[in-house]
Amino acid sequence: MTAGSRRRMLDQIRAGLSGITGKRAADYADLPRTYKQHGSMSVAAKLALMVERLVEYDAEVVECAESALVATIAAQIAASGRRVLVAPSGLPRQWLVPDVNWRVDHELLHEQIEEAEGVVTASFCGVAESGTIVLHHSPTEGRRVLTLLPDWHLCVLRASDVVETLPEYFARCPVPPRLATYISGPSATADIEMTRIKGVHGPRFLSVILVRDEA
Amino acid sequence: MSEHPVMDPRVAPPFPEAALPVLRNAQLRKNVAHATDVIQGKRNRLVTEKTDWSELRDAASALRAHTLEHLGEYLEQFEERCTGAGGVVHWAADAEEARAIILAILREEEADQVIKIKTMTSAEIQLNPFLAQHGIEPHETDLAEIILQLGGGEPSHIVVPALHVNRSQVREIFARAMGLAVLSDDPQTLTAAARTYLRQKFLTVPTAISGANFLIAETGGAAIVESEGNGRMCLTLPRTMITLAGIEKVIPRFSDLEVMLQVLARSATGERMNPYTSLWTGVTPGDGPQRFHVVLLDNGRSAMLRREVERQTLKCIRCGACMNTCPVYRQTGGHAYGSVYPGPIGAILTPQLQKLEHAQTLPYASSLCGACYDVCPVKINIPEVLIDLRAQVTEKERASERRFFDPIYLGMVVANWVFANSGRFRLAQRAARIGLWLFTRKDGWIHSLPGVGGRWTMTRDLRGIPKQTFREWWEKRGKERAQ
Repeated sequence: MTAGSRRRMLDQIRAGLSGITGKRAADYADLPRTYKQHGSMSVAAKLALMVERLVEYDAEVVECAESALVATIAAQIAASGRRVLVAPSGLPRQWLVPDVNWRVDHELLHEQIEEAEGVVTASFCGVAESGTIVLHHSPTEGRRVLTLLPDWHLCVLRASDVVETLPEYFARCPVPPRLATYISGPSATADIEMTRIKGVHGPRFLSVILVRDEA
Repeated sequence: MSEHPVMDPRVAPPFPEAALPVLRNAQLRKNVAHATDVIQGKRNRLVTEKTDWSELRDAASALRAHTLEHLGEYLEQFEERCTGAGGVVHWAADAEEARAIILAILREEEADQVIKIKTMTSAEIQLNPFLAQHGIEPHETDLAEIILQLGGGEPSHIVVPALHVNRSQVREIFARAMGLAVLSDDPQTLTAAARTYLRQKFLTVPTAISGANFLIAETGGAAIVESEGNGRMCLTLPRTMITLAGIEKVIPRFSDLEVMLQVLARSATGERMNPYTSLWTGVTPGDGPQRFHVVLLDNGRSAMLRREVERQTLKCIRCGACMNTCPVYRQTGGHAYGSVYPGPIGAILTPQLQKLEHAQTLPYASSLCGACYDVCPVKINIPEVLIDLRAQVTEKERASERRFFDPIYLGMVVANWVFANSGRFRLAQRAARIGLWLFTRKDGWIHSLPGVGGRWTMTRDLRGIPKQTFREWWEKRGKERAQ
């Protein structure tokens, strides 16, 4: 039944479009793209904007130098009071700081991830203008479920991976990702009387460690 | 919510009739006004802040127009790439076929329940009642949708579908359906109750149904934007995923999202970016559903491609900005439109999907003020389409046998005859002056007329006919001067 419909639908689409007269839409290569492609901010201003946006979303942000990253991860986990954490299979070994019951994702079951109190991951990049954290679900960023079920997401973002505008992120993807999640603040709803409520289904708490890796 | 709204355009009452109960419901109007004010205020602030907004709109509009003119190629490319990535692509010419395809997949999965991400397309094909009839229980997972599903309500907005339900009503619905004896009406508590209720469903129901915001021809991937995370749950946890999407949802390339995502979030919810955007491509071993189906739905869309004025309707990305700004929608809310697609976009989309056999009153549910065109992120000239559809409705009526019983039609025939001749026109003016004199009050206005004329004075006053026309005054003046 579907094979017949496929033919019929495509025929009808083509028949409908065959008689176009007058002004045609632009070819793909000629589409107008005069919107802002590149950012114009200084590095410091761009990072400040990223932090400001994240804080607006109620995310917690700490900044540290590359050399202090492991200590900062340990401090953030300790301060959160959480002990059972999941980690993507490719997370750098030194990030698995002591005094934590780590569940490294070697085919963890949904139940095991659900029981965890949090997750620690790296990230692909950050977009300052919208305060977005981009995950491409590489081995350091984890399968999608890892950053979904636990209630707390501790995310490591490198300053050199922060871009100002969304088009700059797309420019960093010569090959489109197979999977991606863009996170702009913890999950939220305004479905009841337009009152903004934080934390519906995803992690209710997002903490970001911004790593200043410039010299 | 006293009278249950009919959301099937084939049987819904005409707009003016359906709007009456809403207009008398002060609470509902207050809710609609509040919700649309809040979203519109946020949207306007963010659009003002975005210095390249008009360039982004130009790009989004041109991109959508280009895609529609090459829809066949892009759909075939999408099918090829999606299949290559492990997905299965189905083609559904109409609602009935789409429902049958989905049911067949669910039967093969031996599913007796299914979790759903909010999808307008599924509401368009009335999937939920169909699944329930066939012994499959659909669970909506978007907070607003679950309020409506558990409370037996109907959506009144495409982005915030339960805007007409207030917190105490939500409390009642949740307390009853979730078996919670003690529950406060604090939105935070209500949201937490939904989180707990749904978490169990997410972890146990192995089959999910979604819509799609965008299908990407270049990669065969799909994208969903959302706020709550229920979408991510449905896209990640189940074994099998079915995505139902209209054929117009395709975009050429992955990087085109740099335009579409920027205009969509700002227009829909007044955010720089919605909290969660998910992209997936077919099946990824070890991550997410291992069986993935896409159902491409036509259901009247391909017939809209033929003429440019109608084709632009398919550029729509379902942001809902047009309804938030529409002076008609802001009074009536969504139920009066008798369709899952309300507001200005619904007023042009629904009649076309119904091939103008139903919903003929919707093109008139507008003052043609053009506010919808101003805010549309893909620059659909909605007033132009409305006028075109009105002309089509009139053409259809002219061809109808029943027209001789229609007082408005007969009035137009008489008016046509009178206006065609200056003698007859002058005579009519004099007759109207005498006829309407009876109804003209001391203030010079006509407040109420009998018969068909009463349909005008029901909502507006009419200026009384002056004692003299301009022409009469001019002639008299000429004579006086000559003397």
